[in-house]
Amino acid sequence: MKTLEVLKTENLKSYYMFEMQEEKKEVKAVDDVSIKIQEDEIYGIAGESGCGKSTFLKTICGLAEPPLRIVGGKIYYQVKGKEIDIVKGKEIDITKLSQEEYRKLRWEYISYIPQGSMSALNPIIRVKESFKDFVTAHKKIKDKQKDFEEPLRKHLNALGLPMRVLKSYPHQLSGGMRQRVTIALATILNPRIILADEPTTALDVVAQRAVIQLLKDIQNLQKNTIILVTHDMAVHANIADRMGIMYAGMFVEEAKTEEIFENPLHPYTTFLIGSLPKMGDKSYKISAPGSPPSLANLPQGCPFHPRCPYVMDICKKEKPELIEISKGHKSACFLNTKERKENAK
Amino acid sequence: MRNNNPTDKEKVTTTKMQEKLIQVENLQKVFIVGGGFARSKLLAVDEVNFYIQENEIFTLAGESGCGKSTVSKMLLGFLEPSLGEVYYKGKDIVNLKKWEEKKGFMKEVQSIFQNPFETFNPLRKVDSYLRDTAKQYGIEKNNGGQTIEEALRSVGLTISEVKGRYPNEFSGGQLQRISIARALITTPSLLVADEPVSMVDASLRMSIVNLFKDLRDNYNVSVLYITHDLATAYYVSDRIGIMFRGNIIEMGGVEEVLMNPKHPYTQMLKESIPEADPKKKWSERISIKELETEEYMRKGCKFAGRCPFVMEKCKNNMPPELQAENRMVRCWLYE
Repeated sequence: MKTLEVLKTENLKSYYMFEMQEEKKEVKAVDDVSIKIQEDEIYGIAGESGCGKSTFLKTICGLAEPPLRIVGGKIYYQVKGKEIDIVKGKEIDITKLSQEEYRKLRWEYISYIPQGSMSALNPIIRVKESFKDFVTAHKKIKDKQKDFEEPLRKHLNALGLPMRVLKSYPHQLSGGMRQRVTIALATILNPRIILADEPTTALDVVAQRAVIQLLKDIQNLQKNTIILVTHDMAVHANIADRMGIMYAGMFVEEAKTEEIFENPLHPYTTFLIGSLPKMGDKSYKISAPGSPPSLANLPQGCPFHPRCPYVMDICKKEKPELIEISKGHKSACFLNTKERKENAK
Repeated sequence: MRNNNPTDKEKVTTTKMQEKLIQVENLQKVFIVGGGFARSKLLAVDEVNFYIQENEIFTLAGESGCGKSTVSKMLLGFLEPSLGEVYYKGKDIVNLKKWEEKKGFMKEVQSIFQNPFETFNPLRKVDSYLRDTAKQYGIEKNNGGQTIEEALRSVGLTISEVKGRYPNEFSGGQLQRISIARALITTPSLLVADEPVSMVDASLRMSIVNLFKDLRDNYNVSVLYITHDLATAYYVSDRIGIMFRGNIIEMGGVEEVLMNPKHPYTQMLKESIPEADPKKKWSERISIKELETEEYMRKGCKFAGRCPFVMEKCKNNMPPELQAENRMVRCWLYE
C-alpha cells in the first residue's frame, strides 16, 4: 500500500527571537525537525509543557508571527498530489505566500484547533451565527438553505451533536460541549489536515472521552489526518496511530503507538509512561527528576542528559540524531545507536 | 487474601481511634440564577455529609460543575452555606463571630489553589508570600525564618532556591510546591487542595501527590483533595466521595469505591479514565449531558437522564443515603 505524505518538514527550525538592550536572544522552540505525516492517520505529539509542541503546530500551519520566526528548513503540503513549498527563501515570512493563496489553504486544507479553543466562541452571538461566519468567509453562499443549513445539519448529525446547540449561546453549554462545537466548527469544510492542540486538557474524564470519541469519528468519516498534541499519554494510547515524543524542541522518538508503549527506546519516553498512575496499582510512582530545560539556554549535547539516568560521556558533548532503529521506529539517543552498532558487529 | 484480614481489622480499629477533624452536616448552597421573571434557584450543593479524620487524605471527585469546589469554599469560609453545619474539632465554624476565632481556624486549615501561575502576583517575589504568611499568623520574627525553611524543606526546596526570585522563574510544578510550603508555615492540621494538579504536567503530577502522602505520613497533615482525576485520587487517598450535581452519590474507602463501584455514575466515570495502554481502547460509546442546569433542576435522582438502569421511582424521588458493601451509595438499586 502506498501511503501519501500530506505534510512534510525538512530540518525545520523556528525560533522566538528577542532583542533586549542590543542583546539578541534566541529561544529554540523547534530545532531541526524533519518528520513526515501520512494521509489518513492520527499522529500524536507528546511531551511536557515548554518542549515546543504548540510552537511546532503553529509553525506548520503557517501561523508563525514575530517574535516567532522560521529560521530555516522547509514545510511541504501535499495539495491534490502537487507539492507546494509554503516556505520561500530562507528568512521566511509565511505571509509572502500571498494572503489570498494562503487563505484558500487555511480551513479548507489545514485547520487548527488552538489550545483553550473552547473559550474561542463569540459569547454574544448564538453558535449558529459563528458557523455562518466561518462558512461565509470561505464559501459563497447563494442559497442559504442548500449551501449552509443543510450541510450544517448533516455535519452535526454525523458527529452526533444535538441540533439545539445551534440556538444556544456559548455560556449555556458545558465545557465539553463547547469543545466539541469548536471541533465541529473546525471540520465543517472537510479539511485534509486537522491540528488539535491539547483539545482534552482542562476537561474532566467524561467530557474528555466524548471529545476523543468525536475526533475518532471525524477521522473515520472524512479520512483525513489529525495531528494531536497533548501531554497526556493515556489519551495518545487511546487515539493515536503513530506518535512522536518531543523534548526541548526536538523529536526524540517516533514510532507506532503500540510500539512506543511496549518498547520505548528513549529514556525520556520511559519516564513519560512510567510516571502515570494506574487504577488498581498503588505502588509508589516517582516522577521524572528535574524539569525540562529552558529553551533559551539548552545544555550542551543531548538536551535530556541532565535528567537522564543512563547518561554517558558522549551525551554531554554531542547531540544525538533521530535515527531509524527498527522499521518505523526512530529514536535520538546514543544508547540505541551504540547498541545498534554492537548488533551490527 | 486471608493473611490480609487481620491487618484490615487493625486498620478498622485504628481508624476508630482517629479523631474527626472536619464534620460536615447536611450542607446546602443555593445560587440564584438569572433575574426578573427568569429567576430560578439552583441547588449547587445539597444534603452533603462527610467527615475528615486526622491523618488521612479524603478525596472529593466529580466532573466539572458538580459542586466540589463550592463545598471546599464553604469549608474554608469563603462562602456562606445556605443550610447546614461545618464543625472543626467539634466546634461550629460557620458562625464564628470573633476575628481571633476565625484566624485560629484559618491557621489550622490552609488551602492550595488550582492554578499556581495565578496564585502568585507576577510582580512580587515569591518569598514575600512566605514571609507575609508567617507575619500574618504571628509566627515570631526570628523563628519565622526557621519555620519558612522547614516548610520549604518538607516540599523538597531550599530557601536559597526561592529567595529573591519572581514567579516566572519557576515551573508550574515548583510553584505549586511553593504554594504548599506557604500553606505549611502555620503548621495546619488540614490542607484543602482544590484541583492542585490539573494545571501541572502529567509527568510532574506525581511529585505533588507524593508530597501529600509524605505530609500525611510524616507531618500528620490531613488533606482534602478535590479533583476530577480518578487515577491520582486512587493513588493518593484513603477515602473518597464521588459528587454528582451537588450530591455525594457514593462514599467510602478508595479501594471499595473505585475498584468496585456500585453507583451507575461512578461506574461510568471509572470506565472513562483513559488507560495508558493502546490495547485497552474504549469500545463503547457514551452520551454526554447537553446542559448542566437541566440536570441540576431534576426532581429525582440527578443521573436519571443518563442512567442505563433508570426506574420509574428514580425520576421523582432522590434516593437517600443507603449502605451497600461498606460504603454509602445514593441509588435506588441498593434499597
